[in-house]
Amino acid sequence: MMEATARSRIRPLDLLRSGGQGLSTRPGRTMLTALGIAIGIAAMIGVLGISASSKAALLRQIDDLGTNLLAVQAGQSVFGEQAKLPEAAPAMVRRIPPVEQAAALTSVSASVRRTNYIPESETNGITVYAAEVETADTLQAKLAQGRFLDTATVRTPAIVLGAVSAERLGITSISEGPMVYLNGHWFNVIGILDPLPLNPDLDRAAFIGYPTAAKLFDTKPNASTIYLRTHPDQVEGVRALLGRTANPENPNEVQVSRPSDALEAKATVDQNLTRLLLGLGAVALVVGGVGIANVMVISVLERRSEIGLRRALGAKRMHIAGQFVTESVLLSLIGGVGGAVLGATVTQVYASRQGWVVDIPVAALAAGVAVALAVGALAGLYPAIRAARMDPAEAVHPTG
Amino acid sequence: MTVLELRDVVKEYPGSPPIRALEGVSISVARSELVGIVGASGSGKSTMMNIIGTLARPTSGTVWLEGRDVSTRRDQTLAGLRAARIGFVFQQFHLVPGLSATDNVATGLVYRRIGRAKRRQAAEVALRQVGLGHRLDHRPRQLSGGERQRVAIARALVGEPALILADEPTGNLDSKTGEGIIQLILDLNRQGRTILIITHDQGIAARLHRRIELVDGRVVADVRNGEAA
Ligand SMILES: Nc1ncnc2c1ncn2[C@@H]1O[C@H](COP(=O)(O)OP(=O)(O)OP(=O)(O)O)[C@@H](O)[C@H]1O
Ligand SMILES: [Mg+2]
Repeated sequence: MMEATARSRIRPLDLLRSGGQGLSTRPGRTMLTALGIAIGIAAMIGVLGISASSKAALLRQIDDLGTNLLAVQAGQSVFGEQAKLPEAAPAMVRRIPPVEQAAALTSVSASVRRTNYIPESETNGITVYAAEVETADTLQAKLAQGRFLDTATVRTPAIVLGAVSAERLGITSISEGPMVYLNGHWFNVIGILDPLPLNPDLDRAAFIGYPTAAKLFDTKPNASTIYLRTHPDQVEGVRALLGRTANPENPNEVQVSRPSDALEAKATVDQNLTRLLLGLGAVALVVGGVGIANVMVISVLERRSEIGLRRALGAKRMHIAGQFVTESVLLSLIGGVGGAVLGATVTQVYASRQGWVVDIPVAALAAGVAVALAVGALAGLYPAIRAARMDPAEAVHPTG
Repeated sequence: MTVLELRDVVKEYPGSPPIRALEGVSISVARSELVGIVGASGSGKSTMMNIIGTLARPTSGTVWLEGRDVSTRRDQTLAGLRAARIGFVFQQFHLVPGLSATDNVATGLVYRRIGRAKRRQAAEVALRQVGLGHRLDHRPRQLSGGERQRVAIARALVGEPALILADEPTGNLDSKTGEGIIQLILDLNRQGRTILIITHDQGIAARLHRRIELVDGRVVADVRNGEAA
């Protein structure tokens, strides 16, 4: 007798197999269809990975350079003219307890030239500063050549060039004792700095001692900029105090900045590009999804008789729908995993070429595969419903 | 004991005017019967088979399978019924090209939640029964037409159904191969299986116990051959 409990049921593993069967019988089509998804996912993961790696590299660089460097500038007076910091400002700033190092710079009205035959008006875009001996340490400037100013050389016509300045003057080595000409005075080049990532404007500067500047160019001791390093945990506190300390009479004229902020801003500016590229990846993914849906619709039509057979063998509509959704999800899973591998490889190659430490966010990989699965499920839904709705009697017979 | 009963079954396909494929068919089939259904093309044989096999519903009338009225049941109940109680054999075999003979036959048990190992075991037994013990791992492509139909018959057998429905099982085979299939069906019936077979071939029909003839959707003859074959 017929069992009252005769129900149509399938094991999950068999549902998975039924979904995989269609794919394995058409490997070429499967791979091409999965490729669409793979490209989308690879693009997204590549973009995320590369931007994460570049951001990590930038942040690491910022960390290396230190976020505890602050710059105090005279700013402008309420009347709009270039203000001056009081003579006592550097000493006052040094007295703030968390300030570990400070160095004052004062711009000098002089131009640097290779020889006296070049007209004075050609400044090469190089700014001359009178600099305190602490400048190199405070900026953590490394010397490509020679030494920075010291207590002895500040009193002599000695000059240290920023990286760009040296290049513009055509000075690559100090071993031959090169000299430069500053408004009637010859200076010995005693050092050339490496580029300063936190203070790129100082790459186009040249530094001489305060006593020399005062003697030869009549430079006043009022600082135009004071650079200082604070205890890393007290940056904000010190920042708040700097206006009043540096210029007690006109604290509002003082401009305080943190050079590392500019670099960090660069890291966030990149995010716009990242979003744009992610958007393109998403478009690729949608196209890939439409491709899957397309192929699945064709697959359903081609496999009418298999659908009819399965219904005759006892499959419920849900089983048929499940089979095709499974197939579609498997298809996109292949694409998703392939895309994740591809995206990670691209990131790896690109990042190591840039000399960055590779940083592929695991979350992005997981999200990429998850997105692929979602796309597959969505793309498979319509074809699956069509398959499930097929009239089994018509499906088992050769022509409708 | 009655396995199958149809009473006043009418099937109308939509159209203008609607096509009446069955015009009030009433038959009854007992356990272990071997019934041939004959009739000209378009007389309604396949329609009747689909309704018996619960792949289609009658427009009116009632169908009982093992005493249960199946004409009004929900789709999923009917699916369960097909999985457990009905075996189908089709003219065009309907084998999955990528699967071995064993796995094709084992598909007959997939919707009964039977594990793969057990399914394959049962499939091998069924394949031996149809004389294909030496072709277990062959793909359909590697089998002759007659062998393919034997695989399909094994798939219909494997679930021990109450009723086997065969729609023109020899339709795609030459007469010698077809004869082998008919012999197999006669054998299976001799072992006690209830089988309905649609055929164009009057010669084949004459060798079955019972012959039902359809003309334009009506039963015009229902003849028992007594000691047939
Ligand atoms: N899905 C359908 N929609 C509309 N009409 C149909 C459908 N299926 C069958 N018919 C019509 O119903 C009638 C009976 O068809 P059926 O397939 O049952 O005949 P048959 O006896 O099996 O014929 P054959 O020997 O050619 O297989 C025919 O007139 C056919 O055109
Ligand atoms: Mg027919």
